[in-house]
Amino acid sequence: MTNVLQLLAVTISILLLVLVLELVRRKKLTEEYSFVWIVSALALLGIALGRRMIDAFAIAIGIYYPPAVLLLMLVLFVFVAALSFSVVVSRQRQQIERLIEDTALMDLQLRELRAAQASTADVNADASRPGHADDAPSAS
Amino acid sequence: MSVASRPASATDAGQSRSDLLVIIPAFNEAGSLPTVLGDIRQHAADADILVIDDASTDGTPRLLRQLDVKWIRLPQRLGTGAAVRIGLRHALSLGYDIVVRLDGDGQHPAGVLDHLLEALRRREADVVVGSRYVGSERPDIPVARRLTHWTLGVILSLITGQRVTDPTSGLWAFGHQAVRLLADHHPSGYPEPELILFLRRNSMRVKECPVTMRDRLAGRSSLTLHRTGAAMARLLLLLVVVPLRSAIGGSDD
Repeated sequence: MTNVLQLLAVTISILLLVLVLELVRRKKLTEEYSFVWIVSALALLGIALGRRMIDAFAIAIGIYYPPAVLLLMLVLFVFVAALSFSVVVSRQRQQIERLIEDTALMDLQLRELRAAQASTADVNADASRPGHADDAPSAS
Repeated sequence: MSVASRPASATDAGQSRSDLLVIIPAFNEAGSLPTVLGDIRQHAADADILVIDDASTDGTPRLLRQLDVKWIRLPQRLGTGAAVRIGLRHALSLGYDIVVRLDGDGQHPAGVLDHLLEALRRREADVVVGSRYVGSERPDIPVARRLTHWTLGVILSLITGQRVTDPTSGLWAFGHQAVRLLADHHPSGYPEPELILFLRRNSMRVKECPVTMRDRLAGRSSLTLHRTGAAMARLLLLLVVVPLRSAIGGSDD
């Protein structure tokens, strides 16, 4: 009975690991964000292989129902993972804000540059060949 | 991500330029902008003006193209704080000494600019903020809002150790040091209370200056109940966090 359960746990852990690696291979998941999932899949595998560790740990910290340790670890892991995603989202928001600011500033500079270019072109055209303003490069 | 700061030279724009830039963050202020610009040009004829259109959805973009004024349009709405920051970045890159920020809704009369800039020009302060509550005049503000301002002002005064009477004022004048600091670090969102905390944390000398403000000329405030709540929650956190952040070592870069 326990052996069947253990086999199932090991299989699921390996499948998770393969899934993560496959996502990285297809570039759906970038390397830097994959490590946390690889480590967690390996941890899951370790727990599945060494069930007695859980029991021993539960007894050591005074939990009477050993599977509760698994739930505790799961909750902690999800919390940390979600927090790290919030950090990533915050950083990306700052980057996006900065990019938007940069585009807006560049838009102004581009407009000013074009205006300056157009006015010098006009002056040049007027000076060299009066009446041939259409030789000036278009302003747009 | 440093600001590309070109050396400030008079030949930069190919023409002589004022040392004062007035920046106006604007979201849907088409109704009041022409009056505001006229007011500034009448009272501070030598000042350059930059309107930062925070992705307005009304006629503001078209209006700006028609009015003879320098403008920047944000392709996405980022909020007042970011709009001011972009104005400061622009000011820094062109080497303006003093930047005034006033609102596009017409509540800040340009007639007070000289008064506002006095302390900056005398180098008695790095930043001057216009306050509705300093002078002898009682501003015509609803009691609930006045109470909020008062409470917030007391809290900010306690934290900063300086008297803060108008914690949400949108009328600011920044001296050169402050422009350098804030071009990269001006707070986002509804920035005023955080700005007060941040300036204190970075040892900027902030001075309040009595100003009589008017009601907005047209349009509506972007502050809805939902936004006010979110801003207050954010502020509660910032009251704790900003004094704990390390100061920016930006005076030597």
